[in-house]
Amino acid sequence: MSTLPSDSQKLVPAPGLPESILRGTLVGLIPLGLLVVVLAFVLAITALTRQLLATSGFFVQQEWVLIVLIAGMVLAIVVYAGSIWRILRRMATWQQAGMREQARSALWALGATALVVIIPVLLTLLLPQRPAP
Amino acid sequence: MSMRKSSPAVPAQPTKAGRGFRRLVNVLLTLSAVLAFSYAAISIYIDTKLVYEPQKPLYATPASLGLQYRDVIFPSREDHLQLHGWFIPGVLSKGRLTAQRVIITVHGNRGNRADKSAGLLNFSGALARHGFAVLAFDMRGNGESPPAPLSLGYFEQRDVLGAVDFLRSGPLPYPDLGRPRSIAGWGVSLGASTLLLAAAREPAIRAIVSDSAFTDALPLLEREVPKGGHLPPFFTPGALLAARAIYGMDFYDVRPVDVVAQIGPRPLFFIHGDADSFIPPSDMSDLAAAARTVSNAHVQTWLVPGATHARSYTTHPQEYVSRVIAFYTAALGPDSSAT
Repeated sequence: MSTLPSDSQKLVPAPGLPESILRGTLVGLIPLGLLVVVLAFVLAITALTRQLLATSGFFVQQEWVLIVLIAGMVLAIVVYAGSIWRILRRMATWQQAGMREQARSALWALGATALVVIIPVLLTLLLPQRPAP
Repeated sequence: MSMRKSSPAVPAQPTKAGRGFRRLVNVLLTLSAVLAFSYAAISIYIDTKLVYEPQKPLYATPASLGLQYRDVIFPSREDHLQLHGWFIPGVLSKGRLTAQRVIITVHGNRGNRADKSAGLLNFSGALARHGFAVLAFDMRGNGESPPAPLSLGYFEQRDVLGAVDFLRSGPLPYPDLGRPRSIAGWGVSLGASTLLLAAAREPAIRAIVSDSAFTDALPLLEREVPKGGHLPPFFTPGALLAARAIYGMDFYDVRPVDVVAQIGPRPLFFIHGDADSFIPPSDMSDLAAAARTVSNAHVQTWLVPGATHARSYTTHPQEYVSRVIAFYTAALGPDSSAT
């Protein structure tokens, strides 16, 4: 019995062009989404730590808030870099499987992620400041 | 029956342009992450340096001026930090003491209730000798009060409000003198701006002398943060945001110019040195103009010739005291126990 390519396409339909672009873009935006979620979580935990230690004195409060914030930033870096690494590997797999459009859209999404991450820093260069004379 | 041979899949290799684009994205991702996280880390570091300095000890007490006083401790409003201060009763003729009219004195940045450079202890003594009781206290993070982050008035206004609560309902430092009939405030530099912020929320402060106040904390920070941190000015917004995350303070909200109109029609007296290069004298004009927008505003100003920042009292001590005493007497009325 032969397995015809047309049959297999019926069983697992290959994504169309717009669908593969959408899927690639969404996958490419995962690191940005994770970064936002982790940073929001870290800020919430930092605020909670500050509230919980409000009566412990300035130095204790500052020390623990900084520990939480710095640990949270390290966590954010690890999650962000790890997710990028995984997506780059997945993109290579897509490339090898001939899913070029999906891989390319994921790459564009990663490029956009890099810009979104750097935009706040660039904005601080452009923000007008009015220092006192 | 024929079998169709399936050829093995040939891996699709990216084109040269595709490889170049991928490399570019990799570089962008690395660069953006390194820059963003470095920026955040430096901003946090600036904040830790910005908000605290070792507290200055008191160099003398009112006893060194031959005045009676009592040490007092009272909680700040809302967060209940235990603040340290002196209650100095006013001195009437024949040495009689009074606490009918109390002036809360609020020191400047990184100072204390005795601040020698601004002549604060001598000024408090002068007020007391003119029949006004004085509550001089150390704001949080200063003098003998508990360590706390400097917030340019954002948190410190709670200290002034705590002083008002103490005078209105706290234990009496001199029970035989009774509860104060009227409360007024005097502040210098940061103390003046903090006093304005507090008075806008607390109608019990019936008259305010504001010496060298700023209108808005932001321009000062935009000048001082790069100077203090030896870093370019674009780190300032990051440091201000980090201050919000670490300490919960919002420097963007420290704008006495926005609330000064709420103080009226209570009388306001603005004083500023015309040689002040730290906070420009135009800040006094802006504050006075904002205060006058309310109907029945009672606003006085005095541009002190030759005085640098927060040095109006030490430059012209006698005229300073006579003007301030005249203002408080007109605003609060005479001491009824004096007659």
